[in-house]
Amino acid sequence: MLFKTFWKVVSKYKGTIILYTVMLICFGGINMAANNNTMGFSDVKPPIAIVNEDDSVIANNLVNYLKDKSTIKDIDNNYLDDALFYRDISYIIYIPSEYGKSVFTENPKTIEVKSSGDYKSTLASNILLAYLKVQDVYKDDYRGDELIDKINSNLDKSANIKIKSKLDTTSVSNASNYYSFASYSIIAVILFIICLVMCSFNEKNVRRRTIISSINLSSYNMSLLGASLLYGFVVFVLFNILALVLVGDIMFSLRGLVYVINSFVFTIVTICLSLLLSTLVKNKNAISGIVNVVALGSAFLCGAFVPASMLPNSVLKFAHILPAYYYINTNDLLKSIEEINYVNLEPIFKNMFILVLFILLFIILNNIISRLLRKRNS
Amino acid sequence: MFFHNFIYSLKVLLGNKTLIFWSFAFPIVLGFLFNLAFKDIEKNESFNTFDIAIIESPQFSDDVFYKEAYKSLSNGDDRIFNITMTNKDDAEKMLADKEITGYLEFLDSVSITVNQSGIYETILRFVVDEIESNKKMISTLVKDKLQTAKPNEVANIIEGIKDKVINGNATVIDKTRDNMSYTMIEYYTLIAMSALYGGVISMYIINLKLANMGSVGKRTAVAAIKKGTLIISSLLASYLVQLVEIALIFIFTVFVLHVDYGNEIGFVILTSLVGSLAGLALGVLVATLFKTNENAKIGILIAITMLGCFLSGMMGITMKYIVDTYAPFVNMINPASLITDAFYALYYYGVNNRFIQDILSLIIISALMIILSWRGLRRQKYDAV
Repeated sequence: MLFKTFWKVVSKYKGTIILYTVMLICFGGINMAANNNTMGFSDVKPPIAIVNEDDSVIANNLVNYLKDKSTIKDIDNNYLDDALFYRDISYIIYIPSEYGKSVFTENPKTIEVKSSGDYKSTLASNILLAYLKVQDVYKDDYRGDELIDKINSNLDKSANIKIKSKLDTTSVSNASNYYSFASYSIIAVILFIICLVMCSFNEKNVRRRTIISSINLSSYNMSLLGASLLYGFVVFVLFNILALVLVGDIMFSLRGLVYVINSFVFTIVTICLSLLLSTLVKNKNAISGIVNVVALGSAFLCGAFVPASMLPNSVLKFAHILPAYYYINTNDLLKSIEEINYVNLEPIFKNMFILVLFILLFIILNNIISRLLRKRNS
Repeated sequence: MFFHNFIYSLKVLLGNKTLIFWSFAFPIVLGFLFNLAFKDIEKNESFNTFDIAIIESPQFSDDVFYKEAYKSLSNGDDRIFNITMTNKDDAEKMLADKEITGYLEFLDSVSITVNQSGIYETILRFVVDEIESNKKMISTLVKDKLQTAKPNEVANIIEGIKDKVINGNATVIDKTRDNMSYTMIEYYTLIAMSALYGGVISMYIINLKLANMGSVGKRTAVAAIKKGTLIISSLLASYLVQLVEIALIFIFTVFVLHVDYGNEIGFVILTSLVGSLAGLALGVLVATLFKTNENAKIGILIAITMLGCFLSGMMGITMKYIVDTYAPFVNMINPASLITDAFYALYYYGVNNRFIQDILSLIIISALMIILSWRGLRRQKYDAV
């Protein structure tokens, strides 16, 4: 009966569960759409836009070269500045009218650019300037088709590049990003619901009624614990089924299994944290605040929203006290491990061991605090 | 009565700790988290000098052009990379330990070895290609020009070509706008969230006027006072509390987090006023439309606000751009996105049509929510004995 009541209360908050799941689906979907699977070395092609107001051979040859070396995005001129601000493109190149003709005059027209200032814009700028330099050097000695041939033949060769890694980095990074973002969804969904449900059971009148009822207290506690664990397990299964859909084949590999195990351990940590918080916090209104601070705090400080490599060292040092750090760190390690073997997995085992310590810590704290509270109340 | 109820509503609101947490303390905590997380992100995304190794070989050390070219690229403040000259074994080890982006080996041609595909690896390849391109330009020009040159001109011609290729630099005009810091969007979503969370305040005050929500509501319902006066004065009090909180959050973001809102201070204040109005209207709408307990109403309001903030870029800045591009209608009716977009427009473009459109949309959406709530409130009927 208790078990049934637990799920009845959970179903009251299905909107919240749907909300965080939708966020995860949106994130996973966009993450997947933004990348193409690649093996071997492939040049990063900076996303750029070109506004070409000149139809000359010179301008068109430049555009063709840029098409080969970068990804040209077709964006309405009115939205180019927005695209640059949000880093959809890193560079905008404005080729003025009559540019081709003016190249051979004493006062040639100058190409204008706008740049996002990131490393992709540096690459785009290098590509453009390298081309213009060849054009500038050759334009005094050659004209017409000969000039175009000379420029193109000068730029058509690329140095031989060998790649050491055999890893399909795009798929692995998709999986890592998905599971790291999922830490936010897992914390929010499990913490929020379990705390609220426990709060309903711990309500003064309900609690008193339960104590005087014929129900055995330990079986009452076991039922609540069992229901919480089952709820956590359902969330874990749901998010991993979504991973199968959104991340794909990599989930059927040994690496995929490590992602699943890692998320399982993290789910248990979150369940234990939820039980501890529900012992500590009895006010339903305060729960929403605490859950949001814990979920968003962990997500921002440990690298769920912003990659950990982009976070300041001081933040990462502080994040060591949060379980989400070890969970996300494992996801990041899985991104770079070449081969899944015992030696390479050692740091991952270490992270999982720390997560297990968190589980024990939360259980011990929960027992101590509930005992103290019981003593105080009696 | 209007003033009396206004003062008492203020007292009731300021005494509620949960309200204060949601609408004030939570955005401050979140802003602090943003600051920690985003402090270095733009710096890390800009180009930084990287490390490479070159394997010592006669093909490299005997080639003056290569030596000069790589030396010039690894010297000075604007250098592209730092070079370590080493042997192949050490270079392999450095690459495996991720101490270098890649290493170059000069045999018949230049060979690059890297760990993986990436932006710095591509830049390395591009720089090597550019040096090869310069070398090829010199040989092409020398070959073509020497065909017609007199023997005594040869040395001068070669020097002239080398000088032109090595020292020649193409120029472009940079027209990039000044305000390019995209992490500002995060802070704008924070203000949007604060404005909409302000709805908790108006919702709380409206709940006190609803007979099905508690004894105060029942007493209010049977009191011989014009309900319109009560509701308007209470909402004004909640709007005032909201504005004070938003003002404090602004002060915090400007002076502690150093958030840049652009130069149009007057319009920034206007956006906050209208954004807070949207929050107030949302709170009243949720309070009126959903016939459930107060906690569930808070849950609904928070869920709506969080989803709105997610779509306007709080959990990933590009989300707003993606929604704006592929589903613009969603963000046209999303108050969180409209508030964020109005701040963005002021920061990036200044006052323009886009800003005016955002503000007008917010006013229309707020008006619609208030009208819907008003109609809902007028129809309230409770079971008679």
